Amino acid sequence: MTIRADGDDELIAAVATGDREALAELYRRHAPWLVLRLLRRCADPGTVEEVVQDTFVAVWKGAGRYRATGEVPAWIWGIGIRRLISRLRQRPMPIAAAQDEAMVSAEDEVLIGVEHGDLGAALGRLSPELRAVVQATVLDGLTTKEAATLLGIPQGTVKTRAARARRELREALA
Amino acid sequence: MSATWHAAPEVLDRYAAEDLNDVHASSLEAHLLRCAHCRSSLSARAQSPRLEAVWTGIEDALDAPRPGVVERLLLRVGVRGHVARLLAATPSLRLSWILAEAIALGTAAIAAQGAAGTNRAGASLFLFLMLAAVAPVAGVAAAFGPGVDPTYEIGIAAPMRSDRLLFIRATAVLCASLVIAGVAAVALPRSDWTVTVWLVPAFGLTLATLALATWVRPIAAAVVVGLGWVLLAAAASIASTDPLAAFHAGSQLLFLGLIAGSVVVLARRHAAYEGRIPT
Repeated sequence: MTIRADGDDELIAAVATGDREALAELYRRHAPWLVLRLLRRCADPGTVEEVVQDTFVAVWKGAGRYRATGEVPAWIWGIGIRRLISRLRQRPMPIAAAQDEAMVSAEDEVLIGVEHGDLGAALGRLSPELRAVVQATVLDGLTTKEAATLLGIPQGTVKTRAARARRELREALA
Repeated sequence: MSATWHAAPEVLDRYAAEDLNDVHASSLEAHLLRCAHCRSSLSARAQSPRLEAVWTGIEDALDAPRPGVVERLLLRVGVRGHVARLLAATPSLRLSWILAEAIALGTAAIAAQGAAGTNRAGASLFLFLMLAAVAPVAGVAAAFGPGVDPTYEIGIAAPMRSDRLLFIRATAVLCASLVIAGVAAVALPRSDWTVTVWLVPAFGLTLATLALATWVRPIAAAVVVGLGWVLLAAAASIASTDPLAAFHAGSQLLFLGLIAGSVVVLARRHAAYEGRIPT
C-alpha cells in the first residue's frame, strides 16, 4: 500500500470515484483502532474481523453518501457499531465481560497519569451494568433498541438502567 | 480535550491489551475520534497480520460479482445466501422465463376477455385454465438437467442432497408460476370460482412430474405429464357440452388423489434423485 498524505475527507471523495488505493489508505488509518474499540464490545475476534470487513465494504459502497464534515472516524465508527449489532442480532453471543472495578483505583490514576474531573469519578462509581448502558447509549450514540441488542438485555431494562444511571450521576454531580 | 493533549503511551498500551478500565477507555475512545496523532500511535499497537487478512477479505468482497436482480430480491426477502444463489441460477426463475410465462398467460387471459359473450368464450377460458395448470410443469422441467441447468455439474457435486435442491427449486418455480397465473387470472372475464379452478390441477401436475422424475429424466416426466394433461383436458372438453368439463368437481377430486399418490411416491423414492438427475 502506498502512503498518501490526503485528509480523510479527500480519501472518502476518492473512494466514491472508485479509488481502491484511497480505501486501502483509509483502512490503514482506521481499521486498527476500530478493531480495538469493537473488541471491547464483543469478545469474539472472529466476529470483530467480519464486522471490520463489512464496515469497509460499506464504506466503499456508501462513500458517495458521506457529507464532508471532517468527522470520518465518527462516521466509520457509526457504521462499525451498527454492523456489529446486526451481526449480534443474527447470532447472539456473550458480550465482552464488563469490568468489575467500579472505582478507578488511585494506583491506576498515578500509573496512567490521567486526571478525571467529577464526571469521570461519578462514572467510575456506577455499577458495571449501569456504566455499560451509559457507554452504549451516550458515548456510542446507540438507540435503546441497538443498545439492547449489543448488551443482550431487553429494551425495557436498557431504559430503566439508563434512568437509574442518570439519577445516580445527577446526585453525584450535585 | 484540546488537540495538544495526547494519551500517554501506557494508556494506549493498556487499551490495546484490553486492560484499561471502562472510564479511562471511554474518555480515550472519545479522544480517538478527534485525534489522528493518538489513532496512529494506537495503530502501531494493533495486530497487523490479522488486519492484513481482513484487508484481503475486503478486496475479495469488492471483486465478487454483483448478484443479479432475482438473487438480490431473494436476499431482500430473507432467503439465505447459498439458497438464493441456487435459486437464481435456476433457468426457469430467470427474468426471461418469467416474462415468457407472464406474456403467454397474459395473452390467454386477454383473449378470454376479448371472447367474452361470443361463442368462443368457453373455449378461450379453457385455454387459459389449461395453460395456467401446465405452466409450473414446464417450469420444473426447465429447472434441471444437463444442457438446461448451467449449474448442473455443480449441483451434482454440491454438498447438498439432490432431492433437497430439487424440492427447493420446484417450490420456488411453483410459487412464481402461481403468482403469475394468479395475476393474469384477474384479467379473466369471470370473477367467480372459475378463475381458481386451475390451482389444484397445477399442484397435482407438478407433483406428478416430480414423482415421475424419480424414474425418468425430469424433461421426459414433464413432457409425459404435460402432454397427457393437455390431451385429456381437450378430450373432456370436446366430449362434454361444457368446455370446462376437465375442471369440474370430479376431476378436482381426481387431482387431489394424484397429489396424495405423488406425495407417497416422493416420500418413498426421493433418494432416487441423489446423484442421478437425470440418469
